[in-house]
Amino acid sequence: MFMISSINPTIKAFAVLIPGILLGFTFDVFTPLVYFIFILLVTFTLTDIPVIKWMKIFSPFLLVALGFAWMTTLYANQTFSYGDVLFSLWGIEVTTGSILTGISLAFRSLCFVALSLLFALTTDSTKFMLSLMQQCKLPPKITYGVLAGYRFLPIFQHELQILRQAHRIRGIGRTRGIKGRLNQFRRYSIPLLANGIRKAERVAIAMESKGFTGDTDRTHYHKMTVEKKDWLFFAMIVGTFVVVVGMSYYFGYLNIFGKQF
Amino acid sequence: MTNQWKLKEIVLMSILGVVFGVIYLLFFLVGQGIRNILVPFGLAPFGYEIIFGVWFIVSIIAAYILRKPGVAFTAEVIAAVVEVLLGSAAGPALILTGIIQGAAAELVFALTKWKDYRLRILILSGMSAALISFVWNLYSSGNIALAPGLLIAMLIVRLISGALLAGVLGKWISDQLAKTGVLRGYALGKELQKKRETGAA
Repeated sequence: MFMISSINPTIKAFAVLIPGILLGFTFDVFTPLVYFIFILLVTFTLTDIPVIKWMKIFSPFLLVALGFAWMTTLYANQTFSYGDVLFSLWGIEVTTGSILTGISLAFRSLCFVALSLLFALTTDSTKFMLSLMQQCKLPPKITYGVLAGYRFLPIFQHELQILRQAHRIRGIGRTRGIKGRLNQFRRYSIPLLANGIRKAERVAIAMESKGFTGDTDRTHYHKMTVEKKDWLFFAMIVGTFVVVVGMSYYFGYLNIFGKQF
Repeated sequence: MTNQWKLKEIVLMSILGVVFGVIYLLFFLVGQGIRNILVPFGLAPFGYEIIFGVWFIVSIIAAYILRKPGVAFTAEVIAAVVEVLLGSAAGPALILTGIIQGAAAELVFALTKWKDYRLRILILSGMSAALISFVWNLYSSGNIALAPGLLIAMLIVRLISGALLAGVLGKWISDQLAKTGVLRGYALGKELQKKRETGAA
């Protein structure tokens, strides 16, 4: 089999995006749960992401998903609070339906996170931009403009440090209260942005003086290609989603916008 | 569309995208923090709504500075792409959200034929992004399952947030930047220059 890091980034992005969007239709527990297990299987067999690293990034979202499930359970509307009343809390009646909807939404958001991680942890950012330019016909002006801006990120960190030191050496300490905070925000953000804008101008001039015209009719040093394995990956991720929905329908779990099928 | 833009305007958009992409990511944590504070009061659903306007700000700033068609949309999408490039848990779905929010903000500027950049238009643009992103969240985060009363309250909070944090704050930041003089080569800086000259004469 192939490793996911070798898949064309654009194809990978669409493969991850489509099930993510379509999951929005389902409100039963079965569909997102089974698909979530499938994504986990893919993550741990077809990538070399260390499990510990994955857990570290993923675990905070468990809490977020739980909070979201709880909120939906409490505030579900009539369509989604079908079934018997299980208990009531602060005058809000909690039914089987509202609990199931809550759990479903929690698993849905976990699916989103797992799909996003599958993409983010296996994709090189430069290759992603190059692929967007070569496969999605994104104008080179924008592609290289974004890549140039993106490279400034470490410089911004460095500049923030310099700003801080410059403030300290002039005896401007930390301020308290909302007004002080606002002042502090302005003292850091405006110079940082102003420097960034100066750099943007300089980079643009440098690019143009070296012959960058933004012409779409250009050659590429790194050629991004779409091969059979890319489509295989696409078919696997999207196809499994279709199969899971089919299974869900077959077993009678499928629920779309509160309507049981 | 891209032929009307100078390269320096595109790099400016991407620099704004980089800066606000980082801020956007940080605000997910801020939202979670506010939410945790609001939980005991039973107001948890409003945690993110209060600060939601921040996520439209780059559209307003870029459009207000550059004043060209498509800028509000592109700047927001670039910020979303940068969030993905930063390689946290943000996936391609975030780009889709950026496309929707950017298009919603652009819509208001398009209605003025990209000629009017007064505060009220900027506020309307922020509110338009708030409204359309809210409709998208009804579907994407399953908010449609929530009680109608709660949804209306959430929408109102998000609209106010879009008006203030995107519209008003976005204009304020841009005006502060223009005062430093770095925007002299862009539409906003040129307008400021013109005002000064007529004021002096």
